[in-house]
Amino acid sequence: MIRSLITALFCSVISFNAAHAQDEKLRVVASFSIIGDFATQVGGDRIDLRILVGPNSDAHVYEPRPANAMALAEADVVLTNGLQFEGFMDRLIAASATEADVVALTENVAAREEPGGGHYHFIDGEAIFHAGGLDPHTWQSVVNAKIYVENIRDAFCEADAINCAAYEANAEAYLAELDALDAEIRASVGGLPEDRRVGVVAHNAFGYYEAEYGLRFLSPQGVSTESEASAADVAGLIEQMREADAGAIFAENISDTRLLEQIASEAGLEISGVLYSDALSEPDGPAPTYIAMMRHNTRTITSALAGDQ
Amino acid sequence: MLKQLAYSTALALVLAGGAYAQDDHDHDAEDVTLYRVFVGDHAEPSVTAFDLGEPDNRWTFETTGQNKLYSVENGAAVVAVQSFDDAVNFFTSGVSLHAHGDHSDIAVTDPTAIEETLTGPRPFHLIDHDGKAVINFDRGGYVEIVDTHALSEGELVTSQLQQARAHHGYAAPIGDLWVTSVASDEPVEGDAAPARIGLQPINADGSPAGDVETCTAIHGEAFSGAYLATGCQEGVLTVTEGADGLEFEMLEYPEDLPAGQSTGTLLGSKVMQVFLGNYGGDGLVVIDPVDEPHFRYIELPFRRVDFALDPTNARFGYVLTEDGSLHQIDMLAAEVAQSASVTEPYSMDGDWNDPRPRLAMAGDEIVLSDPNAGLVRRVSTETLEEVGTVEVEGMPYNIVVVGGSGVDHEAGSDDHDHAEEGHDHDHEDDHDTDEDHDHE
Ligand SMILES: [Zn+2]
Ligand SMILES: [Zn+2]
Repeated sequence: MIRSLITALFCSVISFNAAHAQDEKLRVVASFSIIGDFATQVGGDRIDLRILVGPNSDAHVYEPRPANAMALAEADVVLTNGLQFEGFMDRLIAASATEADVVALTENVAAREEPGGGHYHFIDGEAIFHAGGLDPHTWQSVVNAKIYVENIRDAFCEADAINCAAYEANAEAYLAELDALDAEIRASVGGLPEDRRVGVVAHNAFGYYEAEYGLRFLSPQGVSTESEASAADVAGLIEQMREADAGAIFAENISDTRLLEQIASEAGLEISGVLYSDALSEPDGPAPTYIAMMRHNTRTITSALAGDQ
Repeated sequence: MLKQLAYSTALALVLAGGAYAQDDHDHDAEDVTLYRVFVGDHAEPSVTAFDLGEPDNRWTFETTGQNKLYSVENGAAVVAVQSFDDAVNFFTSGVSLHAHGDHSDIAVTDPTAIEETLTGPRPFHLIDHDGKAVINFDRGGYVEIVDTHALSEGELVTSQLQQARAHHGYAAPIGDLWVTSVASDEPVEGDAAPARIGLQPINADGSPAGDVETCTAIHGEAFSGAYLATGCQEGVLTVTEGADGLEFEMLEYPEDLPAGQSTGTLLGSKVMQVFLGNYGGDGLVVIDPVDEPHFRYIELPFRRVDFALDPTNARFGYVLTEDGSLHQIDMLAAEVAQSASVTEPYSMDGDWNDPRPRLAMAGDEIVLSDPNAGLVRRVSTETLEEVGTVEVEGMPYNIVVVGGSGVDHEAGSDDHDHAEEGHDHDHEDDHDTDEDHDHE
């Protein structure tokens, strides 16, 4: 903050023509579409935003391009999710040699352990546990999304102190909308009977949604889409679905539906719509913003589980 | 975040320790960085391996002929292709790195020669992708597919894929399909090699899965991101797996590149979806398979001897030119960022296989063989200054480096004092640092 204040002072006193802090927009890179939307909500037209992994794209397996590294190199602020969500990011940041502030938005979010993560080492006949990763899909709880927004507000204020009041005002208004959204989801899910709260998704992206709103999702894939589900994973899942009496199966916008169609037919279910897990939709789709996405997902989930589609 | 991760890791370890281990203080883990160099001699059928930081840790292996070396399976194994002696030897490197999300585990033992070898008519190009090292037998009309995971465990498990006609080419797996270079079916005089005309999708049993895509004089191949790129007279042909089979695109050389040249050697980045290719003898091209311009040309002051991409800092590649200068290539700016003299001159006049230096990367060092000096030279990527030399008997020539940084669970397991410390590290540099390991 001190550095950007000094820079701002320097520019305004020494060279009026260089027009830095006041006229030039804050150059922001967001790693994927959902935090891109948060950045837009907080930054408005004061930022020049570039999003690396766009709508309907899967950040777990994204192949970064040279243009992405160049965007990082030119950025003032880089917003990432962290928790190893963007596997490409650390090395891309290193390659870009960016001097931007790199902010992992999950920094003060309470992350949950990846279910079934971790591995054992057998050394001298003893099993040593090496912990697995943390589930990175923290934005699926609106309570966590608010922390992302606060982190973005703070990052923008630090990098662009002159416009801080505007960022604070935008964030405050948006946080209020998120509070309303959170209440709305609680009310919708709360209306479901207790025995109709189990669904199936392709990869385990909804752990925070489950924990926050009281549902349960089964999935053939883990928290990353990187490794494919095995035949044993699928067989185990179908068994689990029977035991839990799973009521609905959902496609995801970031992955193809072949595996889920197979599971649906084996379980005698139809796919009950598309959830937006790790990316927004295109602007003309049903989930072009985070709030629209959470509303769409909640509506899709609750109407399928309630059985009144 | 790192602190939080370290905390939760330590907590999980303590919890697990109570349940599964008698005393978690016995199980110390250390951050270890180890690079192991394998060098093939120019004249003698031998491979020398040594640890870069401790070159007295040294092993020598006999083979049949001159060895071109490749590291596979994230550096866990090394393949020695002996084109002039119809043999392929295999080694376990003794350094295995396994990535686990936020960290890598490293395990270090001695390298070993795998007893089984492959023989066949003129093995040449090797491409390592998707757990398979695919070796083309130029006079056999087939490729041998080596399971690199089995190789890392000391076992040679192979299968063959037939090509329509023997030629100096390659085959590579892409998703469920394969592509193979294709030779013309025109007759040739004596044992002259047939002309190479294109690239064809084939099934795993060798049957065609599509038409031959034209790629005149096809030579040089690399994977980066979702793409395979290969050099042709008319441009660089790219292949990706689409929704309905393979998608080919010919990126034609633009008009502003010097006429009459082409790309015949390609390197693929493991960090960004980008290739570095030669363009003629004294030019390089940075090739972006998606965004325009697809080609950005870099003129070198002299002809190229060898080049390499930096897997640690993907912004840079390195090229040695015949005047003995090493140039750092900025892959984003497509320009020479800095240059320094590192060896005596090695003229590119004469045969391609005359003894000349070869480059490999080892973290923040470039490691190059200097056959005439009988040395492996270590050069800092930051300053391009020499930071050390290692004497190697004979004429050190082809070179690969395996290894990287990871957590060693065996290290210091008798040391009771540092049990907590061992788990408190943060894993920043834990990614795959092996240049020859293809993106999966
Ligand atoms: Zn995900
Ligand atoms: Zn060749």
